[in-house]
Amino acid sequence: MSDLSLPANGTASGAFSVPSFRFSATETLKHLVLILGSLIVLLPFYVMLSYSFKSPAEIMQNIGGFFGAQESFRDDYCVKLGKDIADCMVTPAIYNYTTAFHKAPLVRYLLNGVIITASIFFIQVLVALPCAYALAKLRFWGREAVFGLVLFCLLIPVHAIALPLYIMLAKLGLTNSYAALVIPWTISVFGIFLMRQFFMTVPDDLIDAARMDGMSEFSIIWNVMLPTAVPALLAFAIFSVVAHWNDYFWPRIVITGNRDLFTPPLGLREFKGDADGDNFGPMMATATVIVAPLIIAFLIAQRRFIEGITLSGMK
Amino acid sequence: MPSSRAHWWFIGPALFLMAVILLMPIGIAGVMSFTNYSLGNPGADWVGLENYEKIFTRSTYQKMFGATFRYVFVVVPLSVGLGLGAALLINSTKRFGDFYKTIYFLPVMAALIAMAIVWEFALHPTIGIVNSTLEKGCGTVLESWSWFSQGCDRGFPLWLTDRDYAIWTVAFIGVWQGFGFNMVLYLAGLTSVPRELYQAAEMDGAKSAWERFRLVTWPMLGPTTVFVVTISFIRSFQVFDTVEAFYPQGGGPSKSVYVMMFAIYEKAIQQNLMGIGAAITVVFLVFVMFLTLAQRWLVEKRVHYS
Repeated sequence: MSDLSLPANGTASGAFSVPSFRFSATETLKHLVLILGSLIVLLPFYVMLSYSFKSPAEIMQNIGGFFGAQESFRDDYCVKLGKDIADCMVTPAIYNYTTAFHKAPLVRYLLNGVIITASIFFIQVLVALPCAYALAKLRFWGREAVFGLVLFCLLIPVHAIALPLYIMLAKLGLTNSYAALVIPWTISVFGIFLMRQFFMTVPDDLIDAARMDGMSEFSIIWNVMLPTAVPALLAFAIFSVVAHWNDYFWPRIVITGNRDLFTPPLGLREFKGDADGDNFGPMMATATVIVAPLIIAFLIAQRRFIEGITLSGMK
Repeated sequence: MPSSRAHWWFIGPALFLMAVILLMPIGIAGVMSFTNYSLGNPGADWVGLENYEKIFTRSTYQKMFGATFRYVFVVVPLSVGLGLGAALLINSTKRFGDFYKTIYFLPVMAALIAMAIVWEFALHPTIGIVNSTLEKGCGTVLESWSWFSQGCDRGFPLWLTDRDYAIWTVAFIGVWQGFGFNMVLYLAGLTSVPRELYQAAEMDGAKSAWERFRLVTWPMLGPTTVFVVTISFIRSFQVFDTVEAFYPQGGGPSKSVYVMMFAIYEKAIQQNLMGIGAAITVVFLVFVMFLTLAQRWLVEKRVHYS
C-alpha cells in the first residue's frame, strides 16, 4: 500500500459521496441508519444516567422521563435509624449520588484506580523506553534475538496467563496488594515495539551530536529521545490508562475481600452484589462516576484518544 | 557506535521482566496442566493427560467450547461487518460524520463491567426499558411478525436468564461494545485508499457504488480487514466481564454462557483446581497464538493484491 502516494484531498470526503447539495434520498437514508445505530449505542448510557437521577419508585415503574420528577421521598434506612420522618425526606438525584459515595468508599476506589494506572504507565515507560532505544539505535550482539523475543511476546495476551501469574504471586505472598495489581503489567512489549518503531525514525545525527557533546547514553535517552517521543508516549499513555482503568478480570483475581485495595470496577461489582430494590439509583450513580472520567476526557480530546486506543492497529 | 556496555542496562530490565512475567507463566501453565496441583497443597501428583482428556470429553467443557465458539463466531463477523458498514456510511456522508464517530466509539471507552450492569437493567424482564419499549409496539403493524406477536401474548423473552437467548444476548453486548473500535480502524484504512483508483475504476466501467466497493475499497482494505478480524477474534475469545457480571455462579442458564476465561476463573480461582485451569489456559493460548500467527502469515502474503 505504501507505494501508492496519498492524495491531498483524501480526508473526510469519501468514496461514494454524491456531488450535489440538494436533498438526496440516499443521504437521508444513510443518516436514518446512522441515527438508529446511535440510539442503540446510546441506550445504556441513557439508562445509566437517567436512573442515577431517579427515585426507586420511578425506576420500578419505569416512569418520570429522563430526570424523574425529583420529588422527595422517604429514606427508609434513615427512618430505621430512628430519626424524624421529616428529616428523612430526600431528593432522588442528591440521594443517589451521596449514597454512592457514603455506602462504599468510592473516593478510595477512585484514588486506587488513579494510583494503579499511573504506576503501571510510569513503570512501563521506565522499562520500555531504554529497551526501545537500545533496539533502535545501538548495535550490539544479540540485538536481533532480543527483538525477535519482543515480537514473540506480542503474541501473549496477559489475561490468558493470569492463572500461572496468580500462582506465582500467591507463592510470593503478594496477592491482595498494590504490587499484585501492578506487577503483571510492568512489561509492555507493545510499548517497546511501538517506541522502537518511533525511534527508528529519529535521525542518527541527533544522537551523534549529543554524544559529541559528551552526553552519556543514559542521559541521551531521557534528555534527547524522550522529548522527541512525546506524541507517541501520549498515545501510549491513553492506550495504557484506558485499558487498566477499565480492567476488571485481573483485579478480580488478585484482590479478594480487602476493600481498601478495590479498583473502581471492583467497587462497582461489590455494590451490585448487595444491591436491593432501593439501591438501583445509587448503583447507577456509582457506575456513572466510574465511567465519567474517561468519557469526559475522550469527549475533550477525541482525536488523541482514538489515536491512542487504535495504536495497536499500527503493528 | 559506542563500545560501552550501556545496552545491557537498557535491555536488561525488559528482558528480565519478559522472561519472568510472560515466558515463565507459559512454562508453569504447561507443566501444571499435567498435574492435579492445588494452591496450599505441599505437592502435586503427575496425572499425565488426564486434565486434557477431561477437557475434550466431559460435557461441561463441551458446553464451554460451545459457548465460546458461539460467542466468537457471532461477535467477530457482526462487529467487523458493522464496523465496516459504519465506517463506509460515515465516510460517505457529507455532514455529522465526526458526531456519529464519537457516539459509536463511546462503548469502547466505557468500563465494560459498568455497562454490563446497566445492560442487565435495561434487559430486565419487568422493569427493563427494552421489554417495556417492545410492549409499546403491541397492537401495531409489528404484530404481523410472528415472533413479536408471540412476545405480546406470552411476554417478551427474559433475555439473560432464558437459555435460548442468553448467549446471543451476551454476544449482542459484545458487538455493541466492540464495533466502534473496528469502525475507527476502518476509517483510518479508508483515508489511505487513493482517490485516483476510484476514477480509474469508473473509467473501466465500474458505475455503481457496489462495483467501486468490490473493485477498489474492499481489496485496498485487505490489510485492515486482516488486522481487524484478528484483533476481534482475540478480544472476543477473552470475554469475561459481562459473563461474570451476569452469572457470577455457574456460567448462565444450563451453562450456556460458560466461556473459556470464565471457566479458567471458576475452576482455578474459585474451586482451586489449578491443574484443570492450567490445561484450559494452554488450550486457550494455542487458539490465540494460532490466530495471531495466521494473521502475520496473511499480512506477509500481501492480501491486498490477491
